[in-house]
Amino acid sequence: MTLFPRLRSWAAAMLKRTSTENEMDEEMRFHLESRATDLARSGMSHEDAIRQARLEFGGMETAKNDCRESLGVSLVETLMQDIHHGFRTMLRAPVFTAITVIVLALGIGTNTAIFSVVDAVLLRPLAYRDSGRLVTILMNGEGPVSPANYIDWRDQSHSFAAMGAADYWSPNLTSTDSSPEHVTGLKVTQSLFPMLGIAPALGRLFIEGEDKEGADHEVILSYGLWQRRFQGDRNVLGQTIVLDGNAYAVVGIMPRGFQFAPFWATRAELWIPNALGERVHNRGGNSLRIFARLKDGASLKQARAEIAGITGRLELQYPGTNRNVVVTPLKEKVVGQIETPLLVLLVAVAFVLLITCANVAHMLLARAASRQKEVAVRAALGARRGRIIRQFITESLLLGSIGGLAGLGLASLATRALIALSPASIPRVQTVTVDWHAALFVLVATVSTSIGFGIAPALQFSSINVHDTLKEGSRGNSEGISRSRLRGLLVVSEFALALMLLVGAGLMIRTFAALQAVDAGFNPHNVISMIVSVAGSKEAEPGRREIFYRQLLERVRTLPGVQSAGAINHLPLIGDQWGWSFAIEGRPTPRPGEAPHAVYRMASPGYFQTMRLPLIRGRDITDADNTTAPGVVIINERAAKEYFPGEDPIGKRVAFDDDITNPGRWLTIIGIAKDAKQDDWTATPYPEAYLALFQNQDFLGTSGTEAGRHMTYITLVARTVGDPSTAASAMKQAAWSFDRNLAISQVVTMDGVVAEATAQPRFEMFLMTIFAAVALVLASVGIYGVISYSASRRTHEIGVRMSLGATRAQVLLLVVRQGMWLALAGSFSGLVGALLLSRFMAKLLYGVQPTDPATFAAVATGLAMVAILACYIPARRAMRIDPVAALRCE
Amino acid sequence: MDDQLELLQGTLDMLILKAVSLSPLHGYGILLRIQQISKERLEIQQGSLYPALYRLEHHGWITSEWGESENNRRARYYRLTAAGKRRLQTETKRWHQMASIITGILQTTPEEL
Repeated sequence: MTLFPRLRSWAAAMLKRTSTENEMDEEMRFHLESRATDLARSGMSHEDAIRQARLEFGGMETAKNDCRESLGVSLVETLMQDIHHGFRTMLRAPVFTAITVIVLALGIGTNTAIFSVVDAVLLRPLAYRDSGRLVTILMNGEGPVSPANYIDWRDQSHSFAAMGAADYWSPNLTSTDSSPEHVTGLKVTQSLFPMLGIAPALGRLFIEGEDKEGADHEVILSYGLWQRRFQGDRNVLGQTIVLDGNAYAVVGIMPRGFQFAPFWATRAELWIPNALGERVHNRGGNSLRIFARLKDGASLKQARAEIAGITGRLELQYPGTNRNVVVTPLKEKVVGQIETPLLVLLVAVAFVLLITCANVAHMLLARAASRQKEVAVRAALGARRGRIIRQFITESLLLGSIGGLAGLGLASLATRALIALSPASIPRVQTVTVDWHAALFVLVATVSTSIGFGIAPALQFSSINVHDTLKEGSRGNSEGISRSRLRGLLVVSEFALALMLLVGAGLMIRTFAALQAVDAGFNPHNVISMIVSVAGSKEAEPGRREIFYRQLLERVRTLPGVQSAGAINHLPLIGDQWGWSFAIEGRPTPRPGEAPHAVYRMASPGYFQTMRLPLIRGRDITDADNTTAPGVVIINERAAKEYFPGEDPIGKRVAFDDDITNPGRWLTIIGIAKDAKQDDWTATPYPEAYLALFQNQDFLGTSGTEAGRHMTYITLVARTVGDPSTAASAMKQAAWSFDRNLAISQVVTMDGVVAEATAQPRFEMFLMTIFAAVALVLASVGIYGVISYSASRRTHEIGVRMSLGATRAQVLLLVVRQGMWLALAGSFSGLVGALLLSRFMAKLLYGVQPTDPATFAAVATGLAMVAILACYIPARRAMRIDPVAALRCE
Repeated sequence: MDDQLELLQGTLDMLILKAVSLSPLHGYGILLRIQQISKERLEIQQGSLYPALYRLEHHGWITSEWGESENNRRARYYRLTAAGKRRLQTETKRWHQMASIITGILQTTPEEL
């Protein structure tokens, strides 16, 4: 066949390009000379013969080009030529090139960074085997469920290949040489890890029977904890470590990057077997989060129907247990909350890229004038339209590629900044990297942007009238209608996009302001807090705990800079949140599931004072409220309204203890505290009860119950004079002066806690504002460029108008009006777009409607002002035109 | 000059193959040979001759080598290959078929329909 010779000839032509070119030259020269000789022989003069030969031959360059095309070299050949030419063009206008590249790098870089975050957080599957089949089963789709229900679901369902349950557990790790550490862990049923399909890096997973009481003293470590506390020593396998004073044998180390759970307990660093023991009969205490793998062939719908069916039956049998249980795909549970914000940001940053494109297209069009002659000359020399378009697209691609490369570099910096700035509420953000996904994105973004900004100028260039352009010589010719219309269209779209981004930013700013204005109930300024855990230290002794806590509080209160101090089991916003049902004395026993319910905290004397959480009525918990005194409790306003409507709750008695044989279970309500934020910054607080810490046997370690064994910590809070962080180290030293084995963790200021609670909206506002600011600058530069260019083109016209009696004000108005029309058209389209789009960010907003008229009005007005300013500068220049000079120079 | 005909689209390749099938020729020689055989009745765009030559060589139907011309100049001589010979045969056959069909159509009278 002819394929081989064709390939060979192509390869030869490619390899010996120069010699092919030379041969082509020589061959055609030979032809011309031979023809000229023949013509001369027939009586022509030498010169005429040469001329005649050339005429007969036709365009030499076209012929050569056709030859190259015949050889198949031409594509590569012209590409090389175009690239070469493109580089020369770029170097001829270094400032233009630099600005374009910077603008493009910013556009592509920011897009790549945001894309990388979206990719890592939203797009990639969770790092478990066949993770799309994993689901969670939770109350209301978020809360834990009871152990007894878990057992029923596990045993009665058929849609799942496996099911496992996890409990939160944060013990003190005291066995290593370094200081004790409060670590986050999980108790998992044996079935859970095999279900995830991740093999340990070392050792083994839990085996059958290890999640039984008595057999549950094994531990699996995360790679991070193994490196940090055990220096990656392989001998740690089989050794025992001490957690909360008990020995656990290390059986396995999970691989680097392994994370479980992927939501809620995302920082878990060790796992122990979850021995449910007697709890398998417990239907009230909701503590388990359920994970399951769908059986092959079973659909999510089937699984949901099945769980709903079983739960419905349980509900009839045991009223009030685990209502509204939801089966959610694990991935959705992990990223569901962040999906909308990230997609909004992705769209916003894509708008920035579009504006960037429009701006670069502007700049290229603005250069059209100076390059018209060049193009005309090329066209006159025989370059075809397609060839010219190709060359300009190549130039655009060249600019785009340099911009894209710079953008890739910028993206890796921006991504690092994003990770550092991102709130903890964004899952998997630590896994964000600029990798080949990002590189692919850059490639696609670069090519599409380059074509996006290059196609308009290319088409404009290629259709110029060769004859007219060359004839007009060096004189600047008037701008064509279609080109000025195109430039106008670009400005209009830039304004529309900028307005939409500004509305987005405006809404986020209002949201953030509304969030800042939220009253926490307490005063978070100048408050420091830390968790002090006694587990594994000598202070854990039941008899010593109370004395230690009291002495510690006393010592902290005497520290310089400390105004007051108190303790609580769990801080609002950052700590765990427990809820408990209770009975009110003298009221009929409520039906199961309908008992009064309250968020349940245990506070020491001084807590309310330190937090500046005001008591509306009644008295504070005092030192006298000890284990020998009658039990006391403070409730919040919401609880008073909800459970004691129309009566005075103070003096009434409530019981959180189900044990009716215990006469000491009745607690007298002594005060009503202002509602304080609980675990959600924007939610209305639930009914809440503050019990006295020093009356709680579990916390003092004297109850002897399972619960008591785990309540081995308090959260210390102190109000300071001045910067609270400076008091932190003194407080730690004070604690350690009692016992070096105390574990101190989560040292945070309350201001920091509040900031963290609003970190996600702040992050969203921050990015939106940056995008909007960039958009604003680009759009202003765009309109400025168009107006000043068009004004300079109209110098002659303005000169004529002025000499005919137009006043300067009229000239000013003439120029500004042109720009304002563009700005108005853009703003109007932008307003319509924003009205249509803003509802998609409703989930991100707080305290402001997506169509907030004030924001829309403010943004539109602000944008109009900027547009006027951008037009005013060229207009003022036009106003100062000297008519005589203008007319003469034209 | 007026009785010169422009070459039909696509026939130049065939004529080149025919010209070099008689003896190896350089580009200008091919031009002269075609004009000579056609008794100067065909007009050939000289510029288009070379792209055609390159195309034919690219397909492997002709091959070239540098030699010396009648006036002692270096010139590139083209010669038919075996593949080119087969190509020429099929092209010739197709041309005859085509020509007779077209002639037939053009000679059709109303009575024949």
